[in-house]
Amino acid sequence: MKKVLEISLGVVTSVGGFLEVGSLATAAQAGAAFHFQLIWAIALGTICIIFLVEMAGRFAAVSKHTIADGIRERFGFNAFLWPLLAILLVNFLVMAAEIGGVAIALELATGIGFHWWAMLAAFVAWLFLWKGTFGIIEKGVSMLGLVTLCFVVGAVMLKPHWGQVVAGAVPTVPNHDATNYWFIAVSILGASISPYLFMFYSSGAIEDRWDESYLGTNRAIAAMGMTFGGTISVSVLIVAALVLAPHGIEQVDDYHQLPLILIPIFGFWGFVLFTASLGIACFGAVLEVGLQQAYLVAQGFGWTWGENEKPRDNPGFSTVYTAALFLSALPIAVGLDPLRLTIFSMALTAASLPLSVIPFLFLLNDERYVGNHRNGMISNAAVLFVIALGFALAVVTIPLQIFGGT
Amino acid sequence: MDLVRDILDKQVVDRKKVKIGKVDGLVAELRPGKPPRVVAIELGSITLARRLGARPGRWMAGLATRLGGKRHSEPHRIAWNKIHDIGIDIEFDIDVRETAIFDWQNWLRDHIVGRIPGAG
Repeated sequence: MKKVLEISLGVVTSVGGFLEVGSLATAAQAGAAFHFQLIWAIALGTICIIFLVEMAGRFAAVSKHTIADGIRERFGFNAFLWPLLAILLVNFLVMAAEIGGVAIALELATGIGFHWWAMLAAFVAWLFLWKGTFGIIEKGVSMLGLVTLCFVVGAVMLKPHWGQVVAGAVPTVPNHDATNYWFIAVSILGASISPYLFMFYSSGAIEDRWDESYLGTNRAIAAMGMTFGGTISVSVLIVAALVLAPHGIEQVDDYHQLPLILIPIFGFWGFVLFTASLGIACFGAVLEVGLQQAYLVAQGFGWTWGENEKPRDNPGFSTVYTAALFLSALPIAVGLDPLRLTIFSMALTAASLPLSVIPFLFLLNDERYVGNHRNGMISNAAVLFVIALGFALAVVTIPLQIFGGT
Repeated sequence: MDLVRDILDKQVVDRKKVKIGKVDGLVAELRPGKPPRVVAIELGSITLARRLGARPGRWMAGLATRLGGKRHSEPHRIAWNKIHDIGIDIEFDIDVRETAIFDWQNWLRDHIVGRIPGAG
């Protein structure tokens, strides 16, 4: 019984981490522009992140090291510096995009311009980290994230042609706007395979004192939680395809177009549900990425870390998340377009994947860390696939960013 | 024991299990006619910067001296004979409060973090 409770809590938590501004925006863009044709990108991204999250949890449970600890220890400081800087930069952009998502939700709710809300959003997030415990952040906020299930309800109520939905899960070549198609595909993969997700997950496993008895729980949470999150993303795509395109919106280039997607289904409440989903999902992500920045630095340099300790006893750790939150609020506060920032940061995330994922190949096959719980053939094939994908994405992202970006 | 594999870059804790840093460097003593012997580990930004190269090392040493005074012009060292246990973390039989390692964290606590309401 305890295990069932643990697994369901874990699943809910991972949904909170999975669904954020990146997956919302990219799924909506894909649906509007290419109907169901890009569902395969969400499916592929979800399968990849299931493998990586499972490995991050297994590594932490068996070796009692977070992924950041492992990279530093196994490869030394000089090699660790590259993934450290890359992930800090990507996280900075992702967090700015998430703060933008919260700010847009507040603009939708009040009519006051989004840039006025950025600092306030960062401040409230900071207050949660300053006063909250890991349990509150992990469980409380992600419970609220269940409001995003309204997209699943909406998708079912629209009665899509399920045959076409399944057909969309098979990759196909587009018959129009090929550059835009591939650019959205890259952004979807970047939004699904976020380094902060698996890095955060391994820190969480240490905060929750996992050991080898959690390996089954870990596998269940990774598979079900990420599948659950992916289902919500696919629902956003379906709703966008069936609502936006018939209204003549094929290019989502403005956040103000997005609340439309739930209105034909739920009426005025559709607007409320969309705004709440956007605000809560992004706020949860701000908390997770903010914590992850502090985890990464503290673990990399060996300082005391832990969200359950008071800031006074953890001065270095709490200074990092404080600085990270307010720095990330700056681009939005000066009026940078949140949607452009989101798409840009998702593409950059995809391009940074080789740096954060190559270590998995070594750490998860090293018996000094994972004993006899080493990766099997399938897991290693999955890691190699993500690395190859990351390299391919890095090579195509930059030209697409110039020619195909919105 | 393979020093680089088993010691370097591992987590260091003091006798109260407080995380005080990573093994950022190793100090060996050269002895005529005998193999070198490890005498201490080093921690801190100067050691890390030296691993990147001689110039970053000099810059960091200059910066640390300017910010922290003479006490911080050299890397922090912990004598090898204080080593107590090598497991997931490496435990040294010292009390971090008696060293200068946490000076900057204490400064942060006393001047910034501790002054913000709700710091505990």
